[in-house]
Amino acid sequence: MTRSSFGQARVSVALIILSLFVSSCTSSANGRFYGKTEVPKANVLKYVSGSEPESLDPQVPTGQPEARILMAMYDGLLEYHPKTMEPIPAIAESWETSSDGTEYVFNLRKNAKFSNGDPITAKDFVYTLRRAMSPELAAQNAYLAYYIKYSEAYNGGKMFVQDEKGNFLIKKDFDPESGGGEASASTIGADSGFHQFIKAPERLTVASDTFTLAKTLEGDDKLKPFFKIKASELKDSSAFVSQVNNGTDGVSRLLQAKLGNALTGCAATCDETAKQNLIDGLNKILAEESLNSAENTEGLTLSEAAKKLIGKFEAENKKIADANQKLDQEIAAAETAEDKEAKTKKKKKPLTKFFYTNRVLLEGYYSGSFAKMPLVTVKGEDMGVEAIDDYTLRITLYQPAPFFLGLLPHQFFRVVHQRTIETHKENWVKPQNIVTSGAFKLVVNKPYDQLVVEKDPNNWDASNVKLDRIEFYPLDEQTTMMNLYKANEVHATYNHTTPAAWNEVVREFKDEYLNHPEVANEYYCFNVKKFPTDNPKIRQAFALAIDRDGLSKFRKTTKPLFNFVPEGILTKYDEARTKIFAEELKANKISAEDWGKRMFDAEQARRILTEAGYPVVKDGDSWSCPTFPVDKVSVTYNTSESNKATAEFMQSQWKQNLGITVPLKNMEWKTFLPVRKVVDYQGLARSGWVGDYMDPYTFLNLFYRDPNDSSTGWHDPKFDKMLDEANKEIDPQKRFEILARAEFLMLQNQPVLPLQTQATNWIKKPFVKGMYPNPGTLHAWKFIYLERDPSKWDTQVENLMKVNDAAVDEQLKQLEASQKAFEANKPAASKPAAAKLD
Amino acid sequence: MFSFIIRRLLIIFPMVLLVVSVTWGLIRMAPGNFYSGEKKLPAAIEENIKEKYGLNEPIYMQYLIMMGNVLRLDFGVSLKYTDRPVNQIIRDHFPYSATLGIFAYLLALVIGLSAGFIAALKQNTAADYASMSLAMLGQSVPNFVVGPILVIVFSLWLYIFPPARAGGFMNYVLPVITLSAIYAAYIARLTRAGMLEVLRSDYIRTARAKGLDEKTVLFRHALKGGLIPVVSFTGPALAALLAGTVVVERVFAIPGLGNIFIQSVLNRDEPLILGIVAFLSILIMAFNLIVDISYAFLDPRIRYE
Amino acid sequence: MQEEIIKGTSLWQDAWKRLLKNKLAVFGLIIVVLMTLTVFIGPILLENFAKITADGVPRDSALLKSFAPSQRHWMGTDDLGRDQFARVLQGGRISLMVGIISTIVSLLVGVSYGAIAGYFGGRLDNFMMRVVDGIYSIPYILVVIVLLSVFGGPNTPGWIKSLSVTFGGGEGMSQIFLLFFALGLVSWLTMARVVRGQILSLKNQEFVLAAKATGVSTFRIIFRHLVPNVLGVVIVYATLTIPSVMLTEAFLSFLGIGVQAPYASWGSLVADGIKNISIYPWQLIFPGVTMALTLFSLNFLGDGLRDAIDPQTRKF
Repeated sequence: MTRSSFGQARVSVALIILSLFVSSCTSSANGRFYGKTEVPKANVLKYVSGSEPESLDPQVPTGQPEARILMAMYDGLLEYHPKTMEPIPAIAESWETSSDGTEYVFNLRKNAKFSNGDPITAKDFVYTLRRAMSPELAAQNAYLAYYIKYSEAYNGGKMFVQDEKGNFLIKKDFDPESGGGEASASTIGADSGFHQFIKAPERLTVASDTFTLAKTLEGDDKLKPFFKIKASELKDSSAFVSQVNNGTDGVSRLLQAKLGNALTGCAATCDETAKQNLIDGLNKILAEESLNSAENTEGLTLSEAAKKLIGKFEAENKKIADANQKLDQEIAAAETAEDKEAKTKKKKKPLTKFFYTNRVLLEGYYSGSFAKMPLVTVKGEDMGVEAIDDYTLRITLYQPAPFFLGLLPHQFFRVVHQRTIETHKENWVKPQNIVTSGAFKLVVNKPYDQLVVEKDPNNWDASNVKLDRIEFYPLDEQTTMMNLYKANEVHATYNHTTPAAWNEVVREFKDEYLNHPEVANEYYCFNVKKFPTDNPKIRQAFALAIDRDGLSKFRKTTKPLFNFVPEGILTKYDEARTKIFAEELKANKISAEDWGKRMFDAEQARRILTEAGYPVVKDGDSWSCPTFPVDKVSVTYNTSESNKATAEFMQSQWKQNLGITVPLKNMEWKTFLPVRKVVDYQGLARSGWVGDYMDPYTFLNLFYRDPNDSSTGWHDPKFDKMLDEANKEIDPQKRFEILARAEFLMLQNQPVLPLQTQATNWIKKPFVKGMYPNPGTLHAWKFIYLERDPSKWDTQVENLMKVNDAAVDEQLKQLEASQKAFEANKPAASKPAAAKLD
Repeated sequence: MFSFIIRRLLIIFPMVLLVVSVTWGLIRMAPGNFYSGEKKLPAAIEENIKEKYGLNEPIYMQYLIMMGNVLRLDFGVSLKYTDRPVNQIIRDHFPYSATLGIFAYLLALVIGLSAGFIAALKQNTAADYASMSLAMLGQSVPNFVVGPILVIVFSLWLYIFPPARAGGFMNYVLPVITLSAIYAAYIARLTRAGMLEVLRSDYIRTARAKGLDEKTVLFRHALKGGLIPVVSFTGPALAALLAGTVVVERVFAIPGLGNIFIQSVLNRDEPLILGIVAFLSILIMAFNLIVDISYAFLDPRIRYE
Repeated sequence: MQEEIIKGTSLWQDAWKRLLKNKLAVFGLIIVVLMTLTVFIGPILLENFAKITADGVPRDSALLKSFAPSQRHWMGTDDLGRDQFARVLQGGRISLMVGIISTIVSLLVGVSYGAIAGYFGGRLDNFMMRVVDGIYSIPYILVVIVLLSVFGGPNTPGWIKSLSVTFGGGEGMSQIFLLFFALGLVSWLTMARVVRGQILSLKNQEFVLAAKATGVSTFRIIFRHLVPNVLGVVIVYATLTIPSVMLTEAFLSFLGIGVQAPYASWGSLVADGIKNISIYPWQLIFPGVTMALTLFSLNFLGDGLRDAIDPQTRKF
């Protein structure tokens, strides 16, 4: 072999391989289907379910991959509709809602059984929920059930507080605006002793550190450093408060969980030295905050003391707010960027209500007026879940939550078998021990390889279950699953599985490729607390300069999004939103045309930015904005192919339309999360949200209260009030209208830059029927079957949601009959709230 | 020899403890933790989790507890896969990696030895150049390229082997070939070099002069000497194989330990990371020891005091 | 001393002659030199004459997709419509830098370690070599992965960041600098062993004894007299370390923890390309062939150098 022939050989080998691939893809693209397509001989579905399930205990894992598997193995009160994901009857054959929307009574079917043949009763649901919320299980999903009365208190190990006379303190005395203080006006189902307790006005609960309460404070090393930090760090009371409210670690955790509250707990258990230490610590806080000393709470009853204190805090709050407002004006008038920044730094954050409660108790303890205050730990038995009889279950919420039924099909609420769990403890999910409640039972569990479930003859709906087995493959390598799909080794994949670059090829297979809107959005958060994105004009300019149509064309699978709640799935909400936005525009004197332009209006963006003090000037054939502080903004995103692509697209848009080159910063996922969580990024950060249930509230809730989950630092009491009001509204359409108003308010402030509604983006073989591209890609497996007759295979799946499948429709009709019959037999008065089925 | 083995065995334990301690320190320095996710946890839930996993203990206590677990060789339960003890995960998944690794190494030995042997005998001929160029090529193409190419040709185009997933013999063909390529190449080069050196040595000359027939010279005398570099390569090769399996496991969706390890690092799944690191270190050290002992049998010149 | 230098020169000349006789090695040398030049000059030419940069994303969103090779884009474009040729060149810079700088790091550590162990001998040598044995048995790739995922992104230590800034990379390059160190720190072991062996055999030679007798400091003896004498072996091993480090980097890129966007290396380009192989084959073929050819040449060159400089060591 000569020297140069090496290179040549290498190139020719490459060319041969290249031609092989080209020929192989063209040959398959000419076929009607993507790769090999044959109905398997056995009645078995092979499904790629996503990454390895974290646990088979339905109350433990949080991800969708687990949800898909657990939905097969466990049944709950309700099930997801295979197309819309609205709740449909499962173990509860019918249900009723109280007229104020705080109580639900479920009538369970009598033939529901666990996989070992034991009957499923209301007591099993009570057990399931109490276990789910127990602090010992430490379930990450527990927040889903926080709407159930006292469940949050139980999960957080909180305590009821009794006053001097032995009466329990009532929450609304301390926090009049918190809502949920009223006694439940309307009730349904039989009355009982428990019911008397649960429907009474909500008691005050204080977070007490039940784990360390037993130890005396003296012996608690963790509190000692706290006292040390306090004196030095509390120079600035607003910093202190924001630390308490925003922080998740260090001082603030100690403050929140231990000091603010364990102190009250200490009343009962501490010895004299410990108390003295405490009082010293408190003295430091109170002296620093200069709020107390003058006022004396001694001799007042607790409620009087509380009111007095609340008044004091509110006055303080007002002072801060006024000062902030003044500063705002000064900022607007400021001439230089430095001046602006300096002034922005001066702004103080108002004290929050969350803190009041603790302060009241601290103050009370400090002044000695309730030094002997007894505390009672909230137990699982106190939660608003009651088995009225074996087949009637009552759930009481602390405030109306019209989306509550929509939450119930979630795996977190699916029923588990008490005896198995108590016998086998943490080993109960092992294949030899597990007892399940769903249409399928576990037969093989080989982690990272496969998980096989088999039709359970004991299931109440077994006659309607069509598949014999489902094989779940826990895979997340996209290329690998595409290969398996092409080789007919899997029949369907989960969502977002077609690799971006493959999309052009795959979407040509019209009978297989599913891309429908999802109940998930993608957006960029603005840091509204840091210069320069604290200026709404700058936020608006940045948002206006993005061609979202171009973005979704580029991303191929997503749809452009201009509002925050995803479009095209919650159709009733979309209607309400259209109506309300039109009204709001009129009220705000914005022309519909201008509003329509907010989707993309580079000129307007430049104008606004100029108004904000950063003139955009023509520079040859492009734009430039020389005064903009580019070093103060960046786009932070977690490392991923698609995030990178989006960020680069955004970067080029801003460059092109505003003349600003925003730097990009990528971080590994686990590093990125804490940065975004404490709103520690500069300018913008990438974010996305997958709805927990089919209701706009799951999205708007992100901006509720302060601190909230939006990672923007934005907060508006008006917005909170609107959400509270909406949830008290019984009429669903009116409720949506209030929510839409809230969304409008938020959007006008532009704390986020909505980008796109996610889309399902997955493929299935045409012979898999009864499987729909629903907004969460969560399939009720009992509706799915394999069609052997090619003439009945799914075609043009773009329209799949509109096509009626007789088999599925019949099954749905049967299921829904019980609830329809129940409503028909009911007095008309209590009807409206239960009308979720249409 | 005996005391050498004992000394080497004794050093394994402090080494493992050191490796585990360093790894633990690195994990603790990393930002984020196993429960951080897209949805923020309410403070109460986070507190419950911290309490459950002992994260509220002082840091030195957490370290001591961890070391206690390591000494008992019980790493507790994975933080991510809460149903599964770490020891069981290792027990369940190591066999997949081991199967892959062993078969790949055997295949590499067969191919590498014969190619290297032939190349050495026919030095500077077309056969020599061809096999050495192939070997170089094997060492220049990453295995995450070889794997998918094999899949496309043999699974999606010819439909001979399944494209992925563990299972029967057919499932292992492509991954084993993929994994063995680079080792076959390396072994071929080592064998050739080793053989050339041996063939030029005095004792082979003596054997030939003695009038032994060529076959005996080559297979009884030369091959044994030529094997020594291959044997010494086995230690590092096994270490590298463990890394190599990561890629192959991912490309072919085989539930082996390598990929689980990568995932555990990304998940900050501390017990699982520590368990796998400790297990693999022990394994590699043990293999190195065996390699060193086998030297003594192959090469009479090597002695251990 | 005078004689030493003359003898040394003739040794190098000898080696050079021997190397030139080895056709494969010469082929490797030519390719490596050409590749290095192309990679460092190419992007400048491309930017000035064709206005193509490695990170230039087209403005028109219709162009944000992968195009097959054409007259303007010789190697086609990637998923974002960026010119693949420019990216291969830029990736080459980073790949070669990863290879060379990591190797330098491994040289610095390995040579000093080996030289010190070899020169002092005895207990110190014994201890230092046991440490090397110990580290050999740590699955090094695990350490690299943990290191990179822990110290990647915003957790990069300040001194690496400032190094990156000093060398003109800006803070964005610090992940790559981290990679240099991580890879260097795990590939010095063989170097240390080899150097120690050479020093052991050299340290009792007359020129060392002479230096000792004239009161030259130990440090000077090691680094001025002994180390230059083992340079040949060191160069050989360095040439063989470069391709193996580059391959390791590719492997890390495949796992998603190697070079991070917006930077690319041959490894990361190949890792991206293999995912789209059946749809956009040019995304794999061009970076793949370039990388394989370079590694191929480096290996041949390394082998050739070994035969030329150090005919005795034939083990890896």
